[in-house]
Amino acid sequence: MEFRKLPPVQEQIMKCVRCGKCRSVCPVFDEIRNETAAPRGHVFMVQMLRDGQVNPRQEVYDRLGNCLLCETCSVNCPSGINVHELNAAARSYIYEQNPSIGKELIFDTMWTKPGLLRTSTKIMSGLQKLGLQSFARNTGLTRMLPGDLPRAEKIMSSIPSQPARNRLRKINRARGEKKYTVGYFLGCGTDILNPNVALATVDVLTRNGCDVLIPQDMKCCGLPHIANGKMDTARLLAIHNIKIFNSYKLDYIISDCASCTSALSRKNMEFLLGGLKIEDEAFEFSDKVMDLTRFLVEVIDIKLPVVNKDDENIRVTYHDPCHLANAQGIKEQPRELLKRIPGVDFVEMADANRCCGGSGTYSLTHYDLSMKILDRKMDNVMVTGADKIATCCPSCSMQLRHGISRHNYKGEVIHPVELVSQSYPKTLPAK
Amino acid sequence: MDKSALQKELVKMLGKDKVLCDELDLMYYSYDSSFLTKLEPANPWAVVMPHSTEEVQQIMKLAFDNNIDIIPRGAGTGETGGCVALKGGIVLDLSTWDEIEEIDAKNMQVILRPGVIHAHLNKELAKYNLFFPPDPGSSQMCTVGGMVANNASGLRAVKYGCTEQYILGLEVVLANGDVITTGGMKARCIKNVSGLNLTKLMVGSEGILGVITKIRLRCWPRPKARGIAMAVFDNLDDAPATVLDVYQAGVLPSGIEILDSSAIQAVNLFKPEINLPEAEAILLFEVDGNPPSVEYEGQVIKEVAGKRARNVEWSTETKRMAELWEGRSITATAAARVRKDGSRIFAGEDISVPLAKVADTLRAIRALGDKYGIKVVNYGHIGDGNVHTAPVINPENPEEVERVMQLVHDIHLLAIEMEGSTTGEHGVGAVRRQYAEMEHGQAWNYMKEIKKAFDPKGLMNPGKLI
Ligand SMILES: Cc1cc2nc3c(=O)[nH]c(=O)nc-3n(C[C@H](O)[C@H](O)[C@H](O)COP(=O)(O)OP(=O)(O)OC[C@H]3O[C@@H](n4cnc5c(N)ncnc54)[C@H](O)[C@@H]3O)c2cc1C
Ligand code: SF4
Ligand code: SF4
Repeated sequence: MEFRKLPPVQEQIMKCVRCGKCRSVCPVFDEIRNETAAPRGHVFMVQMLRDGQVNPRQEVYDRLGNCLLCETCSVNCPSGINVHELNAAARSYIYEQNPSIGKELIFDTMWTKPGLLRTSTKIMSGLQKLGLQSFARNTGLTRMLPGDLPRAEKIMSSIPSQPARNRLRKINRARGEKKYTVGYFLGCGTDILNPNVALATVDVLTRNGCDVLIPQDMKCCGLPHIANGKMDTARLLAIHNIKIFNSYKLDYIISDCASCTSALSRKNMEFLLGGLKIEDEAFEFSDKVMDLTRFLVEVIDIKLPVVNKDDENIRVTYHDPCHLANAQGIKEQPRELLKRIPGVDFVEMADANRCCGGSGTYSLTHYDLSMKILDRKMDNVMVTGADKIATCCPSCSMQLRHGISRHNYKGEVIHPVELVSQSYPKTLPAK
Repeated sequence: MDKSALQKELVKMLGKDKVLCDELDLMYYSYDSSFLTKLEPANPWAVVMPHSTEEVQQIMKLAFDNNIDIIPRGAGTGETGGCVALKGGIVLDLSTWDEIEEIDAKNMQVILRPGVIHAHLNKELAKYNLFFPPDPGSSQMCTVGGMVANNASGLRAVKYGCTEQYILGLEVVLANGDVITTGGMKARCIKNVSGLNLTKLMVGSEGILGVITKIRLRCWPRPKARGIAMAVFDNLDDAPATVLDVYQAGVLPSGIEILDSSAIQAVNLFKPEINLPEAEAILLFEVDGNPPSVEYEGQVIKEVAGKRARNVEWSTETKRMAELWEGRSITATAAARVRKDGSRIFAGEDISVPLAKVADTLRAIRALGDKYGIKVVNYGHIGDGNVHTAPVINPENPEEVERVMQLVHDIHLLAIEMEGSTTGEHGVGAVRRQYAEMEHGQAWNYMKEIKKAFDPKGLMNPGKLI
């Protein structure tokens, strides 16, 4: 769809009164401190693009790219502007005029084909052991990769050798009385980087009366593509996933990944597919999508077995992923879930809903800035003295793990569902 | 000196991290919150981010020797184009220079650099049980330097007044590079009537006399208790009448704010959880002080306001108070929500009228809105007659823009006719100079002479205020 015809571009740019409220909440602005990094500056620049006052060139992309797409500005904008959507739309518009081989390789070739992505990460996992940076440098790959990507090895925590999909069946039957049939949207991050989360999700869902279906041919949710100027690819991925999931009779489509549920949400479908023929099908799909913690608390109303009194309580804090708290307004449910786990002492950290600086590929493309944002987060984490830092997003998890190693902190990053799963007697769904 | 030579010189002087020269970067400095710069953004030739008085001095000398305009800038939340380089020149972005140099709690004062954000200052002062009372709706984003330059006030001006009452002294770098200190900048006393009051002259001077580089502020003890009464009216006229009733009853609230029916709608659209009642108008009375007096004054307001209001809600509960106060402060921008294809504009937004004429003024604004077929959201600091009017238009429709400019002009004239002023707190900037002669008569010429004394070459923020 043409950039200028996109609903946010048509309807929202003019609503910005440049009040600056968004300056006071943006984590990137907080570091850079000049107007070029202000959310209202992004709105202004998108307007300049729309009006042809600036050309869609790489330099404009670089400025707009200095944004985590964390949506903090959007939820705080009194005027109702989805700043992140404008920014993402503009990135795609610019990208179309300035394609890059590196990005094509990553986002069109690798990241649209789950099998290839898994294989590539397997290779990465091998390369990690050798040292990715030296490999990339020696092969000239650095010149092809966007931004600081060659420094990826610093952040990519060790990649498990077995992705979740190799260890999970397509159909996982409810244990006990069946209440719901759910589709499990197993995102790339969980699949490849946090397979244990996927195993825990299936474990907890099946224990709580859900038949869990994992369509083998689902693809990436498209969020990395939106963030990297590949909206067209994101659209194709969305359409593919809608068709796949709508072909089953499902009560809910659940994901443990905040980024996936936000990408599959009605709001994002409106952004990607609003006005297209597929719109109704997209809404039918997205209206079933629900974050796992919300599902467990609000739909299942999960009750957990009492803990062995001899075990010591663990101290758990929670980091709000932007794609859950800002994009979907889900803040209470993960906390409530954690509080329901016997043996958990929940401790709130300061500014829990402040971005960790990970934001998908941002930490890879803007390493130094991302680390400044991460260090602020880690200060708040460490004050809590938590043993576990719970969060619901693979990108946040990866970033926080990196934060832990940067600061030599004792804690461990986990998804709340892992703790829930661990609170049951230990059996995992067999293949 | 041409633009590129200037840029090179600035980079040499300050280092490249403190200077923006790229054309794209400069575009981001082409606006503030004013409607003027939304219509006509204007790029500077360079943006500099100085971090010491000496750096500011050097920049000023360079500009003075080469006849280049200087435009000081804080957070760019001003509504008058004040911090924008309308005809080129160097923008001094002072917002990154944000050290609080000293909190002298015993003497109840603080020394800070101009870029400190208002809300941050109060967060730090709270640690010492102190606060800086002026409370603009832009507290989370505006700089104290910008507040001094605009003599800003806000929601608590009723009891605590404007910024000027709290400035003990200033350090100012003048156009020729001279550094002066005014009032008690070098002293620690609170009272000081020695010499002509240059501090008061600098406060509200909107960057046309010099660059404020250091501020000594007086702080007040934080009140121990607070409460908010929300009075709901079915008749708009009853709201201003109730304000007078409350004063007559011997109560001086810390703030009295009004939201008319569309302002209520705007807040509810943005934050449904605040759940303001539908009404012609609501008034928010904030009282603060010691707990028994807050409770007593709250009850008096409840009783007095109850005579005209449909309902009065009294709250001392922290969460509800925060919601109501937030509801009021977001109205300025949330006003855009009342029209899907519209935005509020900051133009004609700040008139100030005598208390006894607020009701007539609100009625007249409604009539003007009807005359021009433009929705106007009204809210603001009714306790001191400072009404904020927010026309909501499609700013990309030239015909609407033309109509709204006539409306805005009429609103400004209305203020003068009501024996008020075109601006209660936002200032003159580039958008209200045309009314200066009407408002000040002969004094206007003396203002120009004063400007010349400080800035003989007319390089400081030209096209603003004077
Ligand atoms: C949503 C919203 C709500 C607002 N509510 C209020 C309110 O309740 N009360 C109120 O009074 N105002 C209000 N304002 C207006 C504005 O926020 C204030 O005037 C504020 O003080 C401006 O500060 P700033 O840092 O943004 O200054 P800028 O907009 O950057 O600059 C304002 C003026 O000050 C000059 N200036 C800035 N810094 C210096 C300096 N160090 N030395 C010399 N000159 C300088 C500039 O040249 C310019 O003329 C509001 C604005 C918005 C957008
Ligand atoms: S908060 Fe919204 S209206 Fe205000 S400047 Fe930011 S984007 Fe524009
Ligand atoms: S999305 Fe986040 S990082 Fe991007 S401009 Fe908004 S607040 Fe800043």
